Amino acid sequence: MLFWILAAFLTFVAAFAVLRPFAVRNGQADDAPAHDIEVYRDQLDEVERDAERGLIGPQEAEQARAEIGRRILKASEAADSQAGKRNASRRVTQLTAAIAVLAVPLVSWGLYVFTGSPNMPAQPFHARATEEPANAPIDELVARAEAHLAENPDDARGWQVLAPVYMRIGRFGDAQTALRNIMRISGDSAEMQSGLGEAIVGGAQGMVTAEAEEAFNAAIALDPKEPRARFFLGLALAQDGETEDAQAMWREMLADLPGESPWRVAARQALLSSGDTSVAGAETAPTGPSDEDVAAAAELSQADRQDMIEGMVASLDAKLQENPDDMDGWQRLIRSYIVLKRPEDAKAALERALAALGADAPESQELKAFADSLGIKSE
Amino acid sequence: MSIELGHFALVLAFALALVQMSVPIIGAQLRNETLMRVAEPAAITSFMLVALSFMALTSAYIQSDFSVLNVWENSHSAKPMLFKITGTWGNHEGSMLLWVLILVFFGALVAFFGRNLPLSLRANVLGVQGAISCAFIIFILATSNPFARLDPAPIEGRDLNPILQDIGLAIHPPLLYLGYVGFSIAFSFAIAALIEGRLDAAWARWVRPWTLAAWTFLTGGIAMGSYWAYYELGWGGFWFWDPVENASLLPWLGGTALLHSALVMEKRSALKIWTVLLAILTFSLSLLGTFLVRSGVLTSVHAFATDPARGVFILGILVLFIGGSLALFAWRAATLTSGGLFQPVSREGALVLNNLILTTATATVLIGTLYPLLVEAVTGDKISVGAPFFNLTFGPLILPLLAIVPFGPLLAWKRGDLWAVSQRLIWAFGGALAVALLALVLVDRTSVLAALGIGLGAWLVLGAMTDLVIKSGLGKVAPSVAFSRFKGLPRSVFGTALAHAGLGLTTIGIVAVTTLETERIVAMEPGEVVEIHGYNLRFDSFRPFTGPNYTEDQARFVLTRVTGRQLGEIVSSKRFYTARQMPTTEAGIRTLGVSQLYVSLGDQTPNGKIVVRIWWKPMVTLIWLGALVMMIGGTVSLLDRRLRIGAPMPRKKAALAQGGQA
Repeated sequence: MLFWILAAFLTFVAAFAVLRPFAVRNGQADDAPAHDIEVYRDQLDEVERDAERGLIGPQEAEQARAEIGRRILKASEAADSQAGKRNASRRVTQLTAAIAVLAVPLVSWGLYVFTGSPNMPAQPFHARATEEPANAPIDELVARAEAHLAENPDDARGWQVLAPVYMRIGRFGDAQTALRNIMRISGDSAEMQSGLGEAIVGGAQGMVTAEAEEAFNAAIALDPKEPRARFFLGLALAQDGETEDAQAMWREMLADLPGESPWRVAARQALLSSGDTSVAGAETAPTGPSDEDVAAAAELSQADRQDMIEGMVASLDAKLQENPDDMDGWQRLIRSYIVLKRPEDAKAALERALAALGADAPESQELKAFADSLGIKSE
Repeated sequence: MSIELGHFALVLAFALALVQMSVPIIGAQLRNETLMRVAEPAAITSFMLVALSFMALTSAYIQSDFSVLNVWENSHSAKPMLFKITGTWGNHEGSMLLWVLILVFFGALVAFFGRNLPLSLRANVLGVQGAISCAFIIFILATSNPFARLDPAPIEGRDLNPILQDIGLAIHPPLLYLGYVGFSIAFSFAIAALIEGRLDAAWARWVRPWTLAAWTFLTGGIAMGSYWAYYELGWGGFWFWDPVENASLLPWLGGTALLHSALVMEKRSALKIWTVLLAILTFSLSLLGTFLVRSGVLTSVHAFATDPARGVFILGILVLFIGGSLALFAWRAATLTSGGLFQPVSREGALVLNNLILTTATATVLIGTLYPLLVEAVTGDKISVGAPFFNLTFGPLILPLLAIVPFGPLLAWKRGDLWAVSQRLIWAFGGALAVALLALVLVDRTSVLAALGIGLGAWLVLGAMTDLVIKSGLGKVAPSVAFSRFKGLPRSVFGTALAHAGLGLTTIGIVAVTTLETERIVAMEPGEVVEIHGYNLRFDSFRPFTGPNYTEDQARFVLTRVTGRQLGEIVSSKRFYTARQMPTTEAGIRTLGVSQLYVSLGDQTPNGKIVVRIWWKPMVTLIWLGALVMMIGGTVSLLDRRLRIGAPMPRKKAALAQGGQA
């Protein structure tokens, strides 16, 4: 509503700007030759000044004066001949005024209806990043986690939560950054190295590049049994045309991986598609996504989402233990526990906050009131 | 809501521009004062509305409101605040809005300061300005609306092209647009004169300061763009004869010619029709530049998006305004009276020569820029017209022009004495010769070309100083008198001298860096030292670093003189912008005197070393310092109070009329 009022006000201002000259009577005649004469007078003054300063010689000055004088004379004649030529009729003026004033609202409102979206509210980033995390789409959660990590780049837990999400939504470059950060903070590990290799492969549209191979080899160096690294190193061989070596590698995986490992399935499928039928039927190889798989995948992403929120909350909790004066942080933590449906934890957090802030401090009162509004009471 | 209000304000500005382009011109035709007076409030209100609209867009950028398509496409919440703001015009839609903002700003200035212009001239000028605004606002609304919305809004934006995330974006486009669009005023005055069929005496006095201001801004914009490319693109080139650069050089050359011919017109009422034509051509070149850069005809960092609809639309605007104005010129030019006779050897004659050479040079650059596009359009072959073409054509035209520049200001109006002027310039010539010989002996004994070029630059600087010395009478009258005369010289004399001297400095910089530059490319690892041009550069460390929206590998170098004196650190890095997945190189630059040491990182070698490119760029900063001096010259000249004209008072008018008859 406010928008329409302001829009109407602007339209009024614009229409008024057009109308004003019609409302104000200005009887003063305006003829061009008079302006010309003014300019020539300026030029005469200038010649005098230059002559005084010696910039031009007396002879040049005399010539210039004569030339300007002739121009003044000509302009005066023009001024005399022009006197008496005056205005068009009143009706033309009124008609033009009416059309012009009507055109302003008609054109602007008419056009805006086609191009504008008047009912769409603004959505500034800050406001959206601080609203309730529940039901937010996945990219919003990612953005929120990113904002948190931009401030606390050494939070390994945060990166650990983000890395698989990045992989899932296909932001392989960011996944690589996240995994590198984890290894920077909590040290090298076979799992992270092989994850990094997979992210590089993802970024290269499935090609196992030299850089990816390097990461997988690093993983193997740390843990010779790392299944993901072994699988992809086999794939690298296959992509190089060394099918037999690849098959040997996958067969070796099948031989020594525990029965429940998901990489068994991957290795078997790879063997099958590379032409080795000896493993067909040995175990039930999935032949494409079943309804269950789809449901499981959906479940998984839901779980991931929950995982992520919990990860964020845990890191916030840890941060508050180190820095308990953060009033906003406590509020966020309590609210998060409510969203996660963990009222006990919310209550515990409130207790800890009150203990840390001091029970009589004004912040504590405020926090109590806040918790109260969410249905949490302290003893 | 503010974003929608901004959108509405722009639409309203369009409606107002329609009124501004029609009512005052009808009024001028009917000689109806009231209708003519509509121009002023319409122009001022238009400016306020577009300013409101621009502020709305900027605030959407500041708040990272990704429900605005344009913000989502070109911003990111983690971007530093400065680049959020500058990102407003770091894209096609926003930059067109800036274009229009500057256009209506100039229109408002004419309305505000133009109270002493004859009413009909003012009405026509503002009417033409209104027509230009109209065309560009409808272009924005129809093909490149920055206020288009996204629903549902994404949570994070796509970030701005990393190359544009630089302080250069805060300065380069606004300056360039102030230049481009500033010429629209000269254009509007030219069209107004053609519509009226007469040139008022005030015409040249009005056109010259506007042209001067536009020229000053354009000089700054081009120089800033050149310096930006120099440090950002990572290999230290300052001019590439790239079509986009040519697009800005063309109106600059035209504007320079216009500046000089408007001078003749103002002082001597000569070259009237030519000046009108130049004013039309200069703005046409500005429009052409906008078209080339904005239509997506060229692919470069400037072509933010390629959309055929936009290209066709701007082409339409181009044809309408250039074709229309030239047709009007052909039809009406005969009604303008020419005047003012002069000898070939005179200040006017020199300025005509200047104009001839500049316009020929403009045509050369225009052909070099458009020819490859035409060939591609007709035959589909991609050909490249590069530096060799321009060195062969533009060079031979511009070098003689530079050589005769010092003569111009010393020649008298109407008829001059070339021999006397040559005698006065003998000291400057001797000085330039000495500089050239010194350059040959001390700097490089093999490059005669470098010595001659540097001598030419020195000739321009010394020639400009000679002009000041002679005008103040130093050596002829007592020093105290000369000093007071020096102080009393009109500002425009200083402006001329500064602009010409700046041209000389730029020439020296260009010649020095193209002929005397040295380059080393070495694979280095931390601890290694490389020697270049009397300096030792030690590779100190190589480590990762995280910025707000990028990660980078920083290489630190320690610079010492060969003699052992410490000169501090140079940091050069390779950045990676995560949101756009784009790498950039950030060159490490150290200015030593007016020269620079330029360090840029290449790829890693298989054995773990890093390829480091190091350039010694002698006197390279003079290129841009010269442009800065030219800008100062333009500004000083603008401050000349003689450019201000009084308005006629009714009483005075009567008295004058009598005086004229007497």
